[in-house]
Amino acid sequence: MTDHENTLEPEIEQYPIEPRYHPIHKIPRKIYDVLASAKLAMALLVTILVSCIAGVTIWRGVEAGRVIFATLWFNGLLILLVVNVACCFFGRVWGRRVTLVSFGMILFHLSFVAIFCAIVYNSLFFFEGRIRLTEGETLPNADPQSYDEIRQGRFFSFSRLKGDTTLIRMHTGYKVNGDNKRAAYEIAVGEGGEKKRGVIYMTENLTYRGFTYFPDKEGFSLLTIISDKEGKELYGAYVPLQSLKQKDDKYLYVTGTKEGPGSFAFPQEPARPLFGLQLAYRPDPKKERAGEAFLQLWPLDKQNLPQEGKAIAEGKTAIGAKFDAGDYYLSPKEVHYWVGMVVRYAPGKPVVLASLWVGLAGMVITTLGRVMRSRRGAKVS
Amino acid sequence: MKPELVVFWSAVALYGVSTFSYIFGFIAKQEKLFTVGLFSTLVGFIPHVIAIGMRWSATGISPFISIAESLTLGVFMTVLLFLVFQFSAKKVPPLGVLVMPVAFVLLGWGGTLRTDVASTLAPALQSAWIWVHIIGASAGFASVLIAAGLGLLYLLKERNSGGIYDKLPELPAMDILGYRFVAGGFIMYGLMMVSGCFWSNQVKGNYWNWDPVEVWSLISWLIYGIYLHLRITFGWRGRKLAWYALIAVVVMIVSYWGIPFGVETFHQGFRIEHT
Ligand code: HEM
Repeated sequence: MTDHENTLEPEIEQYPIEPRYHPIHKIPRKIYDVLASAKLAMALLVTILVSCIAGVTIWRGVEAGRVIFATLWFNGLLILLVVNVACCFFGRVWGRRVTLVSFGMILFHLSFVAIFCAIVYNSLFFFEGRIRLTEGETLPNADPQSYDEIRQGRFFSFSRLKGDTTLIRMHTGYKVNGDNKRAAYEIAVGEGGEKKRGVIYMTENLTYRGFTYFPDKEGFSLLTIISDKEGKELYGAYVPLQSLKQKDDKYLYVTGTKEGPGSFAFPQEPARPLFGLQLAYRPDPKKERAGEAFLQLWPLDKQNLPQEGKAIAEGKTAIGAKFDAGDYYLSPKEVHYWVGMVVRYAPGKPVVLASLWVGLAGMVITTLGRVMRSRRGAKVS
Repeated sequence: MKPELVVFWSAVALYGVSTFSYIFGFIAKQEKLFTVGLFSTLVGFIPHVIAIGMRWSATGISPFISIAESLTLGVFMTVLLFLVFQFSAKKVPPLGVLVMPVAFVLLGWGGTLRTDVASTLAPALQSAWIWVHIIGASAGFASVLIAAGLGLLYLLKERNSGGIYDKLPELPAMDILGYRFVAGGFIMYGLMMVSGCFWSNQVKGNYWNWDPVEVWSLISWLIYGIYLHLRITFGWRGRKLAWYALIAVVVMIVSYWGIPFGVETFHQGFRIEHT
């Protein structure tokens, strides 16, 4: 291979040794030939390309994931591609003199295989949890109850999760070097005395013992207190609010579900519920953590579910003030924030990320090698 | 009209003059017009750079985010690479016949989409990776567009002879030149993807999620990966690859700017309005 355009290497695979095959060995050999063929490589690349195009045009977003990217056949294609790279590429390059060009190509294709291995390793050992905390709240890391949602690899062990997580405060309009990061969560993670503290925001995260915390979403939580007519506080709870986007792109912050506003029994079990409560909050545009709350109280049925019909009481009050609810006072005392974070442990990821650079370097080396070779070729002639 | 707009549209106008000169030079077989085209490109590049600078200095926010801005940057890279190549190699005078009309149309189109300068930069975009990402993307585009221009000239020279065609490099030389630009573009697209992965990892904690922006970048990269394989392992040369380069660049343009996607695909977590 002297020319820089190593013209057409025909579809003959070259092997260091060519043993005489017993017929029984023919089958694996045939399979290997198929797996190692450049035609298969091309077919796979084109199929994946076409699937990708379909996945951003015909189907989009979540739909595309369901129809294409998350399917068994598509991921099967990716796996086949890697096997194919391994067989075909290394089958060909093996035993060839190492030049700048082939070295770069080896790096490039090797990084491909390394990425794949790291992804497989990762899928067996990873952890991903969504944790939700209100300011001041602390949850134990190793307790699955601390997470709203958990995904984990088959071999992940919860004993890896150490200590606990505290949300100290949520900062709005957080500035770093003059850039507005908008929402930033001040958190502490760790065990006993050696807690790691930090502020995380969109482009900044915090890692403790391999577990990385990413900000995800945040919302308001109203500290709601009920007291008797003498002013004695009977019960209080943080009530997290949903942020519902309205038609005019404004948000409504209210109790309920993602689907819409709703009420819940208050006080919450195990205390004795007295009525169904729906709370909404309108932030003060100028002052942080101030504004008004709107309250609606509903009678409860025997199962302590709020009943339809006429409200017992409704009205609004400023944050910190009291609302007269018949036999009691209700007070939306303070506005706090709750935040949702994604906690990730991905042991294969560093390999993937490093391999990306290795692959790119391989490409650059190959290209440089080719340019140099053709320069030399031009000088000789 | 605001000064920034005046400057911007004079760049567009000069690229228009250049486009006209190249196309006319081709039809009339007048080589002098290629020189006119090249120099009007050079002169147009000056207001183009100034327009970007003015927008940038107005807010201090990097002006490469909206579609109009990314078009401006893509054309900037294209013209820069084109000028460097033309003045250093002096090999292919009529190259502008494809490059400049595309640059002209894209920049003019960008002009019609212009919006006011953003007053803040979304937090997700406040990352150094975005720099690597957009430089990779725009340089990759510049490179494959020039490859497509070479492809076009290859096809024309194959069919015609005499005059300007005889002055073009030999077919195999043009073929290799085109290949070089594709290889360069492929590396740049690789850079775009790798930095995109790091960016996503920084913001979301995963490097790949099959979201539309990622898939589109994979598409660009695969298309040129396939080109390289057709060449290296299947031995394609010349005409077929020239056509491939031409068609592929159309896909690039559509995938970059033809399909509206915004940062909202990138991050949808923010639920509280902050003033
Ligand atoms: C199915 C998987 C793949 C196989 C079997 C494969 C195989 C090969 C082979 C045999 C070569 C040429 C080595 C030689 O004969 O000199 C090569 C080169 C190359 N492959 Fe792959 N490859 C695969 C996947 C990929 C992918 C996904 C890409 C990126 C899009 C890629 C990019 C390249 C590049 C850039 C070169 C070198 C081109 C050059 O020298 O300019 N390969 N590959």
